[in-house]
Amino acid sequence: MKKAMMVLTALAFGLASVALAAYPERPITMIVPFAAGGPTDITARIVGEHMSRTLGQQIVIENVAGAGGTTGISRAAASTADGYTIMMGHMGTHGAAPAVYPNLKYNPTKDFEPVGLAAGTPILVVTRKDFPANDLKGFVAHVKANGPKLNEAHAGVGSVSHTTCTLLHSILGVQPNRVAYRGTGPALNDLVAGQVDYMCDQIVNLTPQIQGGTIKALAIATAERSPALPNVPTTKEAGLPEFQVSAWNAIFAPRGTPKDVVARLNDALVKALDDANTRKRLLDLGGDVPDRAGRSPDALAKLVQSEVARWAKVFKQVGGAK
Amino acid sequence: MEGLVGNLTLGFATALSWQNLGLAFIGCLVGTLVGVLPGVGPIATITMLLPITFGIDPVGALIMLAGIYYGAQYGGSTTAILVNIPGEATAVVTTLDGHQMARQGRAGVALGIAALGSFFAGCVATLVIAGLAQPLTRLALLFGPAEYFSLMVMGLAFAVVLARGPILKAIGMILVGVLLSTVGTDLDTGEERLTFGYGPLADGIDFAVLAMGIFGFAEVIRNLDYQETRSVVVRAIGRILPSLADLARSAAPILRGTLVGATLGILPGNGAVLGPFASYTLEKRLARDPSRFGRGAIEGVAGPESANNAGAQTSFIPLLTLGIPPNAVMALMVGAMTIHGIVPGPMVMTKNPTLFWGMIASMWIGNLMLLVINLPLIGLWVKFLTVPYRLMYPAILVFSCIGIYSVRNAPEDVIFTAVFAIVGYALIKLGFEAAPLLLGYVLGRLMEENLRRALSIARGDLMTFVARPVSAGLLAVAVIVLVAAVVPAVRKGREEAFKEE
Amino acid sequence: MRVRNPQDLLAGLVLVGVALVALWAAGSLSQGRLGAVGPGMMPRATAVLVGAVGALVVLSAFVAPGPRLERWSVRGPFFVCLALVAFAVTIRWMGLLVAGPLVAVISSAASPETRIKEILVFGIAVTAFSIALFKYLLNLPIPVLVIPGVIVL
Repeated sequence: MKKAMMVLTALAFGLASVALAAYPERPITMIVPFAAGGPTDITARIVGEHMSRTLGQQIVIENVAGAGGTTGISRAAASTADGYTIMMGHMGTHGAAPAVYPNLKYNPTKDFEPVGLAAGTPILVVTRKDFPANDLKGFVAHVKANGPKLNEAHAGVGSVSHTTCTLLHSILGVQPNRVAYRGTGPALNDLVAGQVDYMCDQIVNLTPQIQGGTIKALAIATAERSPALPNVPTTKEAGLPEFQVSAWNAIFAPRGTPKDVVARLNDALVKALDDANTRKRLLDLGGDVPDRAGRSPDALAKLVQSEVARWAKVFKQVGGAK
Repeated sequence: MEGLVGNLTLGFATALSWQNLGLAFIGCLVGTLVGVLPGVGPIATITMLLPITFGIDPVGALIMLAGIYYGAQYGGSTTAILVNIPGEATAVVTTLDGHQMARQGRAGVALGIAALGSFFAGCVATLVIAGLAQPLTRLALLFGPAEYFSLMVMGLAFAVVLARGPILKAIGMILVGVLLSTVGTDLDTGEERLTFGYGPLADGIDFAVLAMGIFGFAEVIRNLDYQETRSVVVRAIGRILPSLADLARSAAPILRGTLVGATLGILPGNGAVLGPFASYTLEKRLARDPSRFGRGAIEGVAGPESANNAGAQTSFIPLLTLGIPPNAVMALMVGAMTIHGIVPGPMVMTKNPTLFWGMIASMWIGNLMLLVINLPLIGLWVKFLTVPYRLMYPAILVFSCIGIYSVRNAPEDVIFTAVFAIVGYALIKLGFEAAPLLLGYVLGRLMEENLRRALSIARGDLMTFVARPVSAGLLAVAVIVLVAAVVPAVRKGREEAFKEE
Repeated sequence: MRVRNPQDLLAGLVLVGVALVALWAAGSLSQGRLGAVGPGMMPRATAVLVGAVGALVVLSAFVAPGPRLERWSVRGPFFVCLALVAFAVTIRWMGLLVAGPLVAVISSAASPETRIKEILVFGIAVTAFSIALFKYLLNLPIPVLVIPGVIVL
């Protein structure tokens, strides 16, 4: 009897290790909680394409948009933790969401296995062409003096543009009028037309308009200027160093996904970020690629914790998500 | 002028390469297919096929994806005419007279006129884009939230005119449609509205679900009721293609429809969806005998279909000149461009002329291809109508279920469709029309968003809608259209009441 | 006062009913002010209008003549809806290969003209065609065959 048990156990281990070593055996689904064509989606596709090559199996992107990305993440969090369903979350879904959505169905720090940071996109403060200020200092003065008279555009509660401008408002202590749009496209359209005054958004969406001169860029909220927009000063240079924020994108797996699977995914991600072609495409978008130290699952876990805390404070200060 | 010719030459040289021709063809074919299949729409398809375009050069990739988009417009009209199921919001108007024509054995004629009208509109729209893109963009920028609100109100006024039967009940349906469009998560505050706390409703009711349920499935159930007055092919199929008389009747509506559609398509924020309605209303107003509309009037197909296609083409303008996508499909195009390293923006025309002019030339070629693909298919579709109904409707159900499921990968959507099927059946029994409800639904959401946005920017000043000239003008048109529609109906109602006394 | 238009009477009452349900469901939403329109304003305003139109329709039922109420059949709606529900339930757990023919067969029960063998073969054929079309040509992620724990195609 004992012998049989030993043989069975050995067999089980053998099978298990074979199964794990064989991961992935079939295509992996990566849930992107936003509409196709947006910055997170593009990042996911660029990174996913290279990861597919390393892993030897296709990474299939599935877009599940809604409620600022939380619908897709909720669905992904509840899926089987076998490594065949992963997701691309970002600063909103895994940072600000608990502060913005009172009935959130998941906990960013507990319900996921972090895989790794993918790429982040810096945030810019942009205004309409005829805004009566040409630099950040002038902007701050104008906003502080005229707060409630100004109109700020954002892409809906829970979006990056909404969350980052909430931070800006809490730093400046102002309460301008916030106008919601269904997505960045319509918001940008009205900014170009001059119907609204300013907006905070990711560089990807804004670069062509800035280069074309239809809107004004006042500052970029990162430590260094972006090569795509060398003339735009950083918020530190322009006098508002507290406004530092980047819309980071990262890959997560549902809680309970085996450690080896997570390790393999992280490895593929790191290789993708090292690849010259992938890096170039991400950088061309204006994104920033995390350095070696920032690419591990632990670094991501720490980031999520600090972000959740940070946004909880910001939203409490501003008095809720409106 | 010289510049234009030179640019067009460049464009055609690009578009006529074997690779790009092949890609355009694939795009159009897939697009037509996707338009015909219920539920599956261009957005889902473009998303799915995006990875395949990675290996192709950007211009080629965009040509293919664009082909899918306007191909879907052609395909959507096909199902609208054949089985009374509008594949897209823009095809709803086509069901009104197009399907009636099919019931009279004139399916081939309807399909033919739709294809020809669309082709003409496509040609004109391409010229418009080529020549007038920049000045038109400036026009588009005049439209702020207040103007959009008034535009939508005008659209709702048109929707009233669309009705075949009693105006009062049509107004009721439009309002119910608007009410349904409010279901979901509020854009401003993130609160859930009218969802009864039910999760899958948090994103609102999807158009495909509503359309399939209320139009498609309700129609199937209704047909099962009456074996004799079956909806599909009552009389023997007559002509396969339009006659000269049909063409003559359709000529002016096609011209007007093109103009209307092209103008509305330029407006970012989904102005294109209004094109078919506006055209239908216009034709009904101009016709010598408006009572023919809703009973198989060919003008009711020719005009809206041209408007539809013209709008689909001109909606590329905000994308190509400003880099701002006017609707979800264009947003995908932006994504596709970005992935391929082209950043769409105000400078695309000058920095990337190959792309800009190549796309324009390819649009014209795409329209030609669609005509070539669709005309022969008419014979096939008409044959399809002769399949015995007991086999046809299960097939429709299977395709539709898959199509609906594929929109959000949500089985709940299929169940919602079943609920709406019952609702649609009830509507038929109660003498209501489904088309105004769908129109109210499409316009309601846009109208509310813009109302709130405009009021937010104007700090609650209602006068903003009348103080701004464009907005005031649109509202005036809405009022005129409504009064012109309601007054004769009230008069007739009075007569009927007094007659009985 | 005679009811001259039974169809309209019921139609109007249904509209009023819808309005009442909507008003109840929108109960907790804030109305907001004109400068900051709340989420409740539009649903409530629309619901009120729907109710008003419904009331008018009811009134008109006493004034102008109209059609009588038609009979509502049960068989058609029941089987079509059952088929749809069957699809929704089986698509994820069993895949299209099961869900498709299920829809075809169940819905065929709604028509008295059905022939069992014919619809069975046809259902499988249509499903096979759809799989080729949706899954392989259009690349949509639809589960074809799912045997829990064993395979997911």
